[in-house]
Amino acid sequence: MHIHNLIIQLFLGKVSGPIPLEDWADIVRILRDQQCLARVGWRLQRYGLGSTLPTFVQHHLKNAELIAQKQYHQVQYEAKLLQSLLQPLTTHLLFLKGAAYSLQDNADVGRGRTYSDIDLLVDKQSLPQIERELCLHGFFAEDLDEYDQKYYREWSHEIPPLRHGSRGTLLDVHHNLLPLMTGRAPDIQLFFSHTQQNSAGYTVFSPAAMLLHSAIHLMLSEEIKHGFRDLTDLYLIIEQYQNPDFWQELTALAIQTGFATELLLALRYNQKILFLPVPEHVIETLQPYKPGSLGMRLLDFIFMHKLMPQHPAFASSGDSLADFLLLLRGHYLKMPFWLLLKHLGRKAYRQILSAFFGSSVLDKNADQHNKK
Amino acid sequence: MTFDVRYLHLAPFCFEIRTDINKVATNLQQIYGDLFSTTPGIPDYYLTLRSGSGLRKYLRPQARFLADQQEPFKPIDINNGFALLEWGMNWCIATSEMRFVIVHAAVLAKDGKAVLFPAPPGSGKSTLTAWLAFNGWRLLSDEMALVIPGTNQVIPFVRPICLKNQSIDLARNWFPQARFSTVAKNTHKGDVVHLSPPAQSWQQNTEPAKVVAIVFPKYQKAQPLEVTALNQAQAFMALAENAFNFSLAGSEGFHTIVQLVENCQNYEVTYADVAELAEFLEQDVLPYAHP
Repeated sequence: MHIHNLIIQLFLGKVSGPIPLEDWADIVRILRDQQCLARVGWRLQRYGLGSTLPTFVQHHLKNAELIAQKQYHQVQYEAKLLQSLLQPLTTHLLFLKGAAYSLQDNADVGRGRTYSDIDLLVDKQSLPQIERELCLHGFFAEDLDEYDQKYYREWSHEIPPLRHGSRGTLLDVHHNLLPLMTGRAPDIQLFFSHTQQNSAGYTVFSPAAMLLHSAIHLMLSEEIKHGFRDLTDLYLIIEQYQNPDFWQELTALAIQTGFATELLLALRYNQKILFLPVPEHVIETLQPYKPGSLGMRLLDFIFMHKLMPQHPAFASSGDSLADFLLLLRGHYLKMPFWLLLKHLGRKAYRQILSAFFGSSVLDKNADQHNKK
Repeated sequence: MTFDVRYLHLAPFCFEIRTDINKVATNLQQIYGDLFSTTPGIPDYYLTLRSGSGLRKYLRPQARFLADQQEPFKPIDINNGFALLEWGMNWCIATSEMRFVIVHAAVLAKDGKAVLFPAPPGSGKSTLTAWLAFNGWRLLSDEMALVIPGTNQVIPFVRPICLKNQSIDLARNWFPQARFSTVAKNTHKGDVVHLSPPAQSWQQNTEPAKVVAIVFPKYQKAQPLEVTALNQAQAFMALAENAFNFSLAGSEGFHTIVQLVENCQNYEVTYADVAELAEFLEQDVLPYAHP
């Protein structure tokens, strides 16, 4: 679609002609919703296009840049605090995803990147002490119903999300990269041997492991909200860190941990959508893990929709089918069949409730909140 | 369900508005007049005010506010939809507009000289704002002062004045000809009515003004006017408390607040009679200010 192509061209710095203001309004809207406005702003500046843009665009890019900057500073503060609190309690303390992108020294993927929570990876056996320590310092779990509690405790790869009482910081503490019940959760020790420390002493994954984690996360999701942002995360990591060692480490780790297919798919859509060059030998190495042609066509249908700079106001035909198939696939991949039935049944029941009574019927606090 | 697309041209921003709630649309017309129209603009924000889904349409119907795909607030009684939209617009500006230092304050100007009135709810700020706006002052802002960083300049963001509880009847008696919205009952602020400022404020809604004084008003029943000059440290602390995006704007925000305080007369004023306060401003503050 026209607007989608314009956005991709902007990200790649390959804009052929002047863009009408009406299109810019759509572009700003889509990128803001994709949480990608600051990132594209940074790219445009790097291409030297920043000052040539209409005032309207410069205004919104600057807003986004300032908001991202604020988050960048905030995460440095939170990381310092978390490190000092938790370091003594666990052998491994890693910052993942968005926070890691910000903390990694001079990482392009961290520029203008915003996120709603800070993700940590720690040793499973140290979770009780970590939870207690965080609680003592103002991080509390949100009110969960019994079903959700059970989900987190028994089947998940993280404890229920924590929120800081006054600062509002959201914290996700993980002990693995994928829920245990999926049967796909890797031996986390394999990942622990691919880490690095930044100049301030924070531990994050090596670029290759960071990329693989990001790819796993994206390619196994049952719901993709910011597909284009997530796709560009991968693009930026590869663009900045690729060299023969990177590709070697990446493919070896992917095969060793059982995520070669996810890596193959992540690279495929970066090639297809963002024209990312991938070395021939990498493609060859991953070839045996390629899904069959029917499966591949299905996956292409889903991801060529979901990884585009999507927005409901610019929906194309097939978008909602892609959503549905993605949901089905995500659940199918992540849950044993009996559990999937149970889980979907439960979610369907909740959906029926909210369709019938309105979306706030499931919100325990809705009434109190309105009276406040 | 069909949503009419309208545009709200509120300098310096343009909002695209979609609503399926009649009462919201009529209030928009009542308050904003021609500024709420089908004349397309380049929207900065995309707002939807829609009625709830499912049984909610019939049983205690609700209004939901959406800023594009985001829903920052809980649904509210459908009759209060317009107030929800007003707060939603404030939310958009406060969370997105980082190129201004935004102070939770009313701004009114006379003879090109502006006074900033930062105040917590309950201080009578909106009543004061309404009175001044209808007595020769120009309204630039009722709730959010948009200060250009590094200057004393305030950009107008003219919006209706948000009156609460007792001040509603007071304003209706004072200005029977003025344009009021319908009452939003039992909101988290109590009963709320929005009042459209006079034509002059709307007509000059792109003309910035220089702030010459910062006045922290405090309504106290049956008290004579009491004026306390604040030193710069006191004024800074009081003003910083009311700055929305103080931390976001970072050092630029800090310096802007410092510079404002340094270049302004700063007062705390306890008053019972708004006319008396206006007289003080017009005779003892503005004439000595050089913008």
